[in-house]
Amino acid sequence: MLEAEELEAAKRTPPKEVILKVKRYNPETGKQYIKEYKILTYRGMTILDALNYIKENIDPTLTTRYSCRMGVCGSCGMIINGKPRLACQTQVAAVATEENPVITVEPLYNIPVIRDLVTDFTPFFEKHKMIMPYIMRKNPKEVDEAEYEFLMSPEEHLEIYEYSLCIMCGLCYSACPVTASDPEYLGPQALAQAYRYIADVRDEEPEKRIVVVDTEHGCHRCHFAGTCSAVCPKMVDPAAAIQRLRKITLFYRLGLWRKKKTSRVAGPLEKPLRKIEAQYPTHNLVEGADPEKQAKEPVSIDFTDEMLSE
Amino acid sequence: MNKTQKQRVKMLQNMIGFFRASLNPWVIRVKFKENPERVAFILHRVSGAIIAFYLLAHIIVTSYTDDPLAWERILNTLSSPWNKVGEWILATAIIYHGLNGIRLLLVEFFGVGIGRPELPKPPYIPPSFKGGQRKALYAVFILSIIGSILSAVLIFTGKLPI
Amino acid sequence: MVKESTWSIIQYITAILLILFLGFHLIERIPGLSPLQAATYEESLEYEKVSRAYDSYGWVLATLLVIGLFHGLNGLRGMLLEWKPEARTVINIVILVVFIVFAFVGFTTIYNHLAG
Repeated sequence: MLEAEELEAAKRTPPKEVILKVKRYNPETGKQYIKEYKILTYRGMTILDALNYIKENIDPTLTTRYSCRMGVCGSCGMIINGKPRLACQTQVAAVATEENPVITVEPLYNIPVIRDLVTDFTPFFEKHKMIMPYIMRKNPKEVDEAEYEFLMSPEEHLEIYEYSLCIMCGLCYSACPVTASDPEYLGPQALAQAYRYIADVRDEEPEKRIVVVDTEHGCHRCHFAGTCSAVCPKMVDPAAAIQRLRKITLFYRLGLWRKKKTSRVAGPLEKPLRKIEAQYPTHNLVEGADPEKQAKEPVSIDFTDEMLSE
Repeated sequence: MNKTQKQRVKMLQNMIGFFRASLNPWVIRVKFKENPERVAFILHRVSGAIIAFYLLAHIIVTSYTDDPLAWERILNTLSSPWNKVGEWILATAIIYHGLNGIRLLLVEFFGVGIGRPELPKPPYIPPSFKGGQRKALYAVFILSIIGSILSAVLIFTGKLPI
Repeated sequence: MVKESTWSIIQYITAILLILFLGFHLIERIPGLSPLQAATYEESLEYEKVSRAYDSYGWVLATLLVIGLFHGLNGLRGMLLEWKPEARTVINIVILVVFIVFAFVGFTTIYNHLAG
């Protein structure tokens, strides 16, 4: 969640010079230490830009991972000033002020660190895999050899749309107080995705996922601390998804819940689509213009010397 | 990752740990008004642990009280001012745990108060923070403070001023 | 093997019951509302009043003992499972033993009071 205050702060000019305190880890010696870097800033500089600047100009041994630089791939999650954020989405101006130009950058908590700011997401992705994040049908041919799409109304889509925005950046996992000590806990991301597929009308096997989440390290370990939703950069709201998932699990165990509706395959169209022949425009033409003739002529634009010199 | 790679790369676990995560609400530095649920969770956990350990002690203490003399003796040893403070802390813990428990019961068991899924729009506040549970949480905090003051009056003066 | 959701359901049911039963147990201490007719907080803890509570509301205390122990120990179990997730079996067994021992002690106390 980008707070309104932070959005305001991002419009400001950052302090001229900031100090980046980067928590680094060397796997060869097994030591974690803090290193300080002083860098000059510019308007619109993000933390990722700052780290890249350090890598290019000051210390080439600093290791980071990033890919898209625009908050879509979810590789550059790190703890900036104590809060998990995407480095590419965080402006220097939003976290540093003239009075306090110190920014601390740490690798994500609760996820094994490979080196410096690079974390190992293998357990995280394993848990995501465990909840079977794909559409399952009673007849698997409907997915494997799909000829037609499944029907879904806009309202049904809105039910799950928010949760399908997850980019798997691991910020919620890093913020959760339960993953802080229980490495087997599925984590907010996997549980939110389990709810997303259970609530999806196209899915026909919610029971299989309920079995996976209904363990000692599943959805009942969640205590609704809500930090997952507070740090999510995409407003996925895992906290609400886990509470709904837990309600479903409990009511299912009591025999009061079953999937209300599953959608069917769309099937072939009842009427063939209307064919429309392309035509040249006939109305509102410049006087004397003939579109058919113009389409065949090559386009030529005459540049004057003045235009080219600009 | 295969076995030889695992041996060469020594990874740092970087876990926050149970006690830091369940005692310090600002181990992840989010503002209170941004995420009061985390404070509520920690208070719920701490108060729950206090009550659970008191319950075990209470069962043992009351098991030694089958005659009036023993009862008097135990009451005398437990009537020191520090025990009164302990009683007051316990009463506050029970009031908070009960009130927050009602809120959690509604949210976790019945799934109410967490809004409906919606299209993300600025200023990007998750629906679960806009729902009724947030208002209920502030009500829980205020009612707990009132209850705590009333229980202090009852325990330290012996009477309620009604 | 009992599913975790079964424990959770019992946890929430005991939570609802505890609000009622523990509320009653605490109202005994409040002068004016107390069913024991105690004038002050200290008076409600006198032996005569307390043994009257055992006689009249023994079933309340017995229920409170079981649901309170379950709710409290299941809560502790949840915390211990987070603290040491690898010691799952040990935690479950220890919690079960503590539950049985303390329930036995509590029931003995109530029985002794009722017997005289």
